[in-house]
Amino acid sequence: MNRFSSIPVPVMLLAALLAIAQDDIPGRKVPSVVMSPVPTASVTRGKSSTVDLSFRVGSGFHINSNTPKSEFLIPTSLKLEAPTDIVVGVKYPSGEDRSFPFSPDEKLNVYTGDFTVAVSVRPLASVLPGKYVLRGNLKYQACDNAACYPPKQLPVQFEVKVVKAPPPPRKNPGQSPHIHT
Amino acid sequence: MRRDPIVLILVALLVTFMLAFGFHRARRVSNQIGAPAPNTKGGVAPDFTLQSLDGKTVRLSDFRGKAVLLNFWATWCQPCKIEMPWFVELQKQYGGQGLQVLGIAMDDASPADIAKFAKDLGVNYPVLVGKEAVGDAYGGVQFLPATFYIGRDGKVVDKVFGLKGRGEIEDDIKKALGQGQAVQAQK
Repeated sequence: MNRFSSIPVPVMLLAALLAIAQDDIPGRKVPSVVMSPVPTASVTRGKSSTVDLSFRVGSGFHINSNTPKSEFLIPTSLKLEAPTDIVVGVKYPSGEDRSFPFSPDEKLNVYTGDFTVAVSVRPLASVLPGKYVLRGNLKYQACDNAACYPPKQLPVQFEVKVVKAPPPPRKNPGQSPHIHT
Repeated sequence: MRRDPIVLILVALLVTFMLAFGFHRARRVSNQIGAPAPNTKGGVAPDFTLQSLDGKTVRLSDFRGKAVLLNFWATWCQPCKIEMPWFVELQKQYGGQGLQVLGIAMDDASPADIAKFAKDLGVNYPVLVGKEAVGDAYGGVQFLPATFYIGRDGKVVDKVFGLKGRGEIEDDIKKALGQGQAVQAQK
């Protein structure tokens, strides 16, 4: 007999209600930005490769794009610390021009839902092959339709595997002018 | 049906744990999210001393006898930008009746940037450079705008989190102007 079948139904109901109640605290919803896990990317020494970092903004919230339309708005920005001799660059997606109920006549350039930041990774020729961890922070500032939340930083981390460039294709050896018999 | 006492004990422990965890979490979240501290509404507004953008030292208690609209804002807060021009108008409209609007900039921006922002919006009331401790004293201002309406007697009449309509703001100003009027008249 399943042991759980011996638990009184009222107790199970109470437990379920309590679990639900814990998620029903007024004002509980806070803005969140999360990053999807990134599989280890293979990057070739001496060449530039792109690693896409996917982020998701919580439902009901928006964050400024990297190029917001006002000098006072805080842009979303990714700062990475790369190991020596690994050169990184960040390319942000275009934001979406949207107006919000608090300012219907003004459009803001924002990210909502899913967005992807492309990171170019170029290990110099001096980098030893192997795995390297790149760490950093995504700085963002979120708002909903009526309020804004202080800037936050989301820790970002991903791994790259530096591999040697494949050897150049071998040329055919020159033909000897001599005739061997 | 025979009930295994071990299972019953385990369930009882689980329920106790969930209750304890739930209450602890609810209390912690209510403190974190900016739900106001229970003693602010109806209680005396916490006094503070802050520097204004023009370098003056300003205390909330300096305004005792006036109704104070205390607005926490920041330059990065678009909804704040919407209501600030309303405060400018309302300060003009009700200033003669004893309203004093005070802005507290909860910003990392430089005072010069804050001043530029306020000037662009035509702000005609003191803007103070905020400190986290002041926000904490008001229940932890975790999102902006956050506005406290303080009566002439120094007691919090209402507190509003997030952007509200101009009409609601005006209604709260009237309430603040009304509160403590009897005390004021006796002086």
